[in-house]
Formats: sequence, C-alpha cells, structure tokens
Amino acid sequence: MSRDPLLELLFSEPAPSSGAPWRPRADVYHTAHGWLVKLDLAGVRSADVTVTLSGNSLIVSGCRRDWLLERDWDHMQMEIAYNCFERRLDLPCEPGSCRVATEFRDGFLLVRVEPER
Amino acid sequence: MVDRESDKALERETPAGAVHVLAVVPMKQTVLYPHVALPALVGRPTSVEAVKAALATEEKTLVVVTQRDPALEEPRPQDLYTVGTRAVLKQMTRSPEGMRLLLVGVERVVIENWEQTEGFLKARVRVLPTPTDVGPEVEARLRAVMDLGKRVIEIVQPDADVDVTEMVTRNADPLQVAYVVASLLPLPTEQGQRILEADTRLEALRLLNESLTNEIKVLQIRKEIAGQAASEMSKSQREYVLRQQLRAIQAELGEGDPQQQEAAVLRDRLEKAELPDHVRKEAERELSRLERLPPAAPDYQMTRSYVELILELPWKAAEPAEIDLGKARTILDEDHFDLEEVKDRILEDLAVMKLNPGAHAPILCFVGPPGVGKTSLGQSIARALERPFERLSLGGMHDEAELRGHRRTYIGAMPGRVIQAIRRAGRRNPVMMLDEVDKLGRGFQGDPASALLEVLDPAQNGTFRDNYLDLPFDLSQVFFITTANTLDTIPRPLLDRMEVLRLAGYAREEKVAIARRHLIPRRLAEAGLKPDQLEIPDETVSRLVASYTREAGVRELERLLGRVARKVARRVAEGTAQTHRVQPDDLQELLGDERFLPEEARQELLPGVATGLAWTESGGEVLYVEAALLPGGKELRITGSIGDVMRESATAAQTWVWSHAQQLGVAADRFEKAGVHLHVPAGAVPKDGPSAGVAMTTALASLYTDTPVRRDTAMTGEISLAGLVLPVGGIKEKVLAAHRAGLKRVVLPEGNRRELKQIPEEVRRDLEVVFASRIEDVLEAALTRSVREARARS
Repeated sequence: MSRDPLLELLFSEPAPSSGAPWRPRADVYHTAHGWLVKLDLAGVRSADVTVTLSGNSLIVSGCRRDWLLERDWDHMQMEIAYNCFERRLDLPCEPGSCRVATEFRDGFLLVRVEPER
Repeated sequence: MVDRESDKALERETPAGAVHVLAVVPMKQTVLYPHVALPALVGRPTSVEAVKAALATEEKTLVVVTQRDPALEEPRPQDLYTVGTRAVLKQMTRSPEGMRLLLVGVERVVIENWEQTEGFLKARVRVLPTPTDVGPEVEARLRAVMDLGKRVIEIVQPDADVDVTEMVTRNADPLQVAYVVASLLPLPTEQGQRILEADTRLEALRLLNESLTNEIKVLQIRKEIAGQAASEMSKSQREYVLRQQLRAIQAELGEGDPQQQEAAVLRDRLEKAELPDHVRKEAERELSRLERLPPAAPDYQMTRSYVELILELPWKAAEPAEIDLGKARTILDEDHFDLEEVKDRILEDLAVMKLNPGAHAPILCFVGPPGVGKTSLGQSIARALERPFERLSLGGMHDEAELRGHRRTYIGAMPGRVIQAIRRAGRRNPVMMLDEVDKLGRGFQGDPASALLEVLDPAQNGTFRDNYLDLPFDLSQVFFITTANTLDTIPRPLLDRMEVLRLAGYAREEKVAIARRHLIPRRLAEAGLKPDQLEIPDETVSRLVASYTREAGVRELERLLGRVARKVARRVAEGTAQTHRVQPDDLQELLGDERFLPEEARQELLPGVATGLAWTESGGEVLYVEAALLPGGKELRITGSIGDVMRESATAAQTWVWSHAQQLGVAADRFEKAGVHLHVPAGAVPKDGPSAGVAMTTALASLYTDTPVRRDTAMTGEISLAGLVLPVGGIKEKVLAAHRAGLKRVVLPEGNRRELKQIPEEVRRDLEVVFASRIEDVLEAALTRSVREARARS
C-alpha cells in the first residue's frame, strides 16, 4: 500500500474535488438554437440529479447509487463510479437569460441551454 | 490532478457531527486525506471482507484508518488510530494478490464505537468538522508550504511540467493544499497522521512545513549522491561530445580532422605510388575502409599499418645497376684475404647477372666454421653489386609465422621477416643474408624450414605470398645468401635449392696475413690509435694465434688484438708511452699466461694407438684412436661417444684386420683368445662419420702386430671391406689441424688428391703428404715397421 508520490503525480487520473468522487463524461454541441450538453449518467435516478446554473457555469451534480445489491453475490470488478458526482461546464452565454431543459434518454442526461431572444 | 471545478464548497460531505456505521479498512504506512485519491492493494482477509461489505452498499463507502504499527498483520481496534477518513470506492479489480482499489477520500471521521470486530471491522464514526480558520498566519504558512513544495518537486523531477503555484491557486483551500502535498510526500506515518488529525488549518500547515523542510534536506543529499554517480557514468560520453566539438573547431579553423588528414596523406601517396593493378585495388579498398573507420576502432591502426606497408614496399622492378666486374673484384679483395674459390664463384654469378639482368639471382650457401667471414663476405657482395644488404638471423627461429607473417585477423599481426627486410631495403633486389640456416628450430607452430623452401625456390619465389600482406610479391630478384656452420642439420630439400660454397678455416700464416691486412688496422682505429703508435709484428700475431686461440676463424684473434690495442691505448692516454711495438714476449704481460700449449703430438705412441684427423664445426682436430685387447672376451667394444656411422666403420676395420690376419702375420689364435676395445678420446665429445676408418684399421693392425704407429703421422679416410681407402670431406681443415699439431706427415685418400691445392703453400712445405688408395698403403706409410717386417718377425 506504499506508493510513489511522483508516479501518482504524473499518472493518476485527475483526483476528484469538491467532495465529489467522480465526474461524468460530457459531450457538448453547439446547436442552431444554443447549446446541448450530453452527460453519461447511466444508472442514475433522475431524482438524484441536480442541474444548476451559476453565473455562466452549468453544474450537474448528484449521486449514483448502486441498486443491484443481491445477497450472496460477490462483486468481482468495479469500474463504474458510484456515489456523488459533479460536473461543471463553462458556457459562453449570459447568465439568467437562458432557458434550460433537461431530458433523460437511455442513460444519457441531455441538458439544453438556449439563450432567450 | 485537481479538478477545475473545485471552488465549490464541499457540499458532498455530510455535516459535521453526522454519524455513519461503516466497514473499516486498516492501512499500513499510508494516510488517506479527504479529496485525495489513493490506489491501494488490499490483501488481508479481514480487509477484503470489509471492502466486500462496502461494495454491497449503494454508496460504496468505507472508512480508512492507518495502523500505528505497520508490522501487524491482524490489527485489533486498539492498534489503529482513532481518526480516519471516510472514503468512496471508485474502482475495484481482483488480482491474485487481493483487491486493487482506487479510493477517494471524502471527509475526516473519528471512530466512536466498534460495532463489529469479528470477520471484519465495523465502526460507528462521527464526521469531524472541516477546519476553516483564516488569518495572516495561515496565509504565511501556506506560502511557505508552496515554496517548499515547489523546491521538492524541482529536486524530485526537475523536468516535470508541474507548477505548484498553479496547482495551489486552483486549490484555493489551504487545507486542501496541505492534504495534497502531504499525500505526495513520503512522510513518516506518524507525521502524516498528525496532519490528518490537525483541527486547524494553521496546525496542519505548520506540521507540513516542518516535514517539508526535513524532506528537502534528505532529497538534496540524495540528489547529490545520484548526481555524482551520474557524472562519473557520463564521462566517456562527455569525451565523445568534446571530441565532436574539437573536430568542428578544427574544421572551422581549416585544420581538418587528424584522421581525415592521415587518410588524405595516404591517399595522396597511393595516387603517386607506382603499383601493379591488383595491389592498387587492394590498397584502394583498405584505404576507403580506413576513411570510414573511427580512429578509436581497433581495426584503424591495423588497417593504417597495412596500407603503409603496401605503399612502402618496392613493387616496381629496380633499375639494374651496371655491374663492374673489375670493381667487384677489387672490393672482394679489399675485404677478404684469399678465399679464391669463393670469390671466383661470386664473380661468375655477377658476370651472369651483367649479361642477363632478368635472370634469377643465385642462392648461395656459405658453409664454414665461425669467424671465417661468411657474413662479411655477404656485405662485400652487396657492396660490389651496389645493392642494399639485409641480414636475417634464423638461428633458433621455430615459428613459421616469423618468416611468412601472421594473417591480419590476428591482433598484433605483422608481416614476416622476409617482407620486413624488403621494406627496410626499399628495393626489390637486395642482398639478403639468411644467417645460421643450419640452426633453424622446429616448433609446434609449423616448420620454418618448409616456409623457407618457398622463399628460396626460384620457381616459386616470383609470387611469394606473405600471410600478412596477402598479395603475391616477387622475390626472384633478391640475391639470397644463406650461411651455416654445418650442412648436416639443413633439411635436404632446402639444401638442394642452394649452391654450397665452403669456407674452410685459415692456416696460421693466413691468419697472420688477415690480422695484418684487416684486423689490426680495424682494431687500432677502434682504440683511437694511429698506425704509428702501435706496431704488432707478424711474429707476435703468430704467437697470439698459436698460444692464445684455438679456432678455425679469426674472431677470437680479433678480440685479443682489440684487447692488446686497448691496453696500449691506455698507456698512450696516460702518457707513459707514445709508440709501442708488441714483441711476442710482451703478450704474457698484456694478455696473461698462454692459454693453449701448442698442439703437440703425443711424444710416444704405444702399439694400438693411431693418430686420426677429424672435422668439426669449428675446424679440424687431431684425435687419437686407441685399441686394446680384451682378454677372454670375443666382442668388439667401442667407446668415446661414437655415432652409428663411426661404429659401423669400426666394425668394418675389425673385420678387415681379422680377415687379413695371415697377410699381417698375426696368429689366428690371437683373435680367438681376446676381444678388442676401441676408444676415441675425448670421451665427452660426440663423434661420428666414416673418416676415422683408416685410423681405426691402423690402430687395430698396430695392436695385433705389436707394431707402434709413427708418431709424426696422422691419417684420414674411409675404408671398405675390400680394403679400399675412400675419399672424405674437410681435407683442408684436417690438414691444417695436423699442421697446427706439429705433425710432419699426413696420409690422405688418393681420391682427395685434387683438394691439396686448397692448402696453403707454407703448410704444404712443412708437411709430407702420402696418398693411399688401399689400406695396405696406409699401413706401409704409418707403421714404424713394415708389415712384411712384422710378419717376418712373428
């Protein structure tokens, strides 16, 4: 359990911050009307996701809870990150003048950010 | 490593004071801090069980606590610190050693109560508040930590593109900075734990500051040590770089690189040299190889010397020098006394060369005792021919490669001595003297005599191939002269290729003449004396020859003359005498007692003793053959280090005497009653050859007829059973030996009559020579009473 700080410094994946152990991956599209952010949030209950707009940042946070918990099952490998997540994305649009719509589809969370005319 | 979106409050933490019941995983030597990721390997069964329990929860959380003693395998609750970190399991894979985990710390917790200690540890933990104290002191500490952290990273990884300041500014929370830096340092567990337990930011930063200062010292020392090792390792690399730079500088200055220069000089010489096509091709190939090689390559020097050898060898046929026979004769006469036959032979060869310059040079072999002038004769020939003189001593050479060279694949390979001599001579037609060809050794490295065959065979030596040179070289214009003391040890095939010229020893008078004409002037000059300062008259030289030397040549004589000259030189230098005439009686004072009594013949000879003559490598010698009856025996006993041929000769002598008993007037029963013993002193000197047959027959005849042999008479010759006396070799040496010994008569085989003219006039005057064709003639001449008389008496 000893570790080489240097190795870790250079090769470990980005450590989480703000208390969130993981960050969901995100695709960002520039659409005809504004922006579409697609986040990989499979297995997350929509009730556990919070989307907030702070300044020109879009913050998606929440918690993925493992719901496949069977007695007598042995977990052999775990690559899916559970527990809290947070993803903050800077958007080039004026704060407070955007319309935000969310939609869950097949494990993706789609966030549409469209400036109001 | 720290996410950009970090300025957000730690909202995922549960509020301070919240209580969880979670599985506990003990860690060895590792402290997990909040918001720091930690890869960990979990192998202990209890820990694995704890992780499994955590995996079975929705949120995959557990508590990581560090154990106080890393050596413990099964820590109990009291072996663990009470403050730990609640962590989320981010990844897990199984491996043969256990579980590989990636943990991410969330918040500090304190263990309040152990819920379970069987199977795995489970505890009720309370979340500790996150310190939030602020103030100038916190700011100052933070800056100090940032500075030190920067230095640590510079030491650990000078090339790393990590900016601590940037990292820290992104992590605005000073506590977070402390945790990240602490997790990167290999801190002792106890210090790491104290940082985790610190309840204020100030305290955490202070502890970290302390650890960092210490760490920097350690790292610096380690770096210095590593730096020393590295600098030693890269020394040769440095040298290489410097050399490259030197080359660049030289190129800049127009000096050129020495290697290139060297190659350019060789190339220049190659272009100017007149070489046969096949040689030029080979030289070109080697030279272009040389130009590509770095000078440090082991092949570089070797290739260079090879190209140099090719360039220095005289490939072009030499202009035949005009041979002036008259001048040659003068030179030979100047340098050597007498040796008429040899000189004539040499002049004949020169005449042939003059008429046909393309003819193969002859290969001569001078055979004779030491000190008779074989080597200097070679030098005279070279002088007469106006060619360079090169001398190789073959004595004791036992490795073929010395003559023919080593192949270039060997380290330290060199061309053979023949090619080296040609290179020194610088001409293709030197006079090359191969000294001591009879003393060629023979070792396990091949047979140099066989290699010499190729050198000396006129049919082959036009394309002599040296192993090193590996190109055919024409030796046919070389005037080879070999020298030997004896022909017996020269291999037959080698002997066949040479024309043998014998240089016999000198008589006393000849030595006196040689001393007068050559040795004394030379020695005077060496001693720095003028001719009028020292006079050595002939009588003195004669005494010197007779009483101080016993040799066929004049080497010892010259040495003694040198000694006389030095002693006189000292007197002249000391001013005690200005001119000196050395009388025969002065020799005692100058050189000490006489070393040899003049070889006196025995004063009286008993019946059964005859005087024989022997030829040795150092000239002729007088020897006595003694015969005595061996009463009661029947055998013929022969002693005196006798070789097989001489032994057979003795048997033939005995047979002849026995079968001619009646003719000799010897009663047959004398043979029946006694055997005979033949002895030839000196017993320690090995003797062989058939030429003592006559002396042995005479000794036996003398013994059986009881008639002494004339003491002034010596004899030589081979006998046959039919009683013929056959000719033998070395007549001149033998006659000179008899003369030295003061004998008055010699009996020689009739067949040697024509060799008499080799014998100096003054010797012939003193000696009566009797030629015998049958053994009866010998007995007639040698016995004191004629056989007829003996027969009558008996």
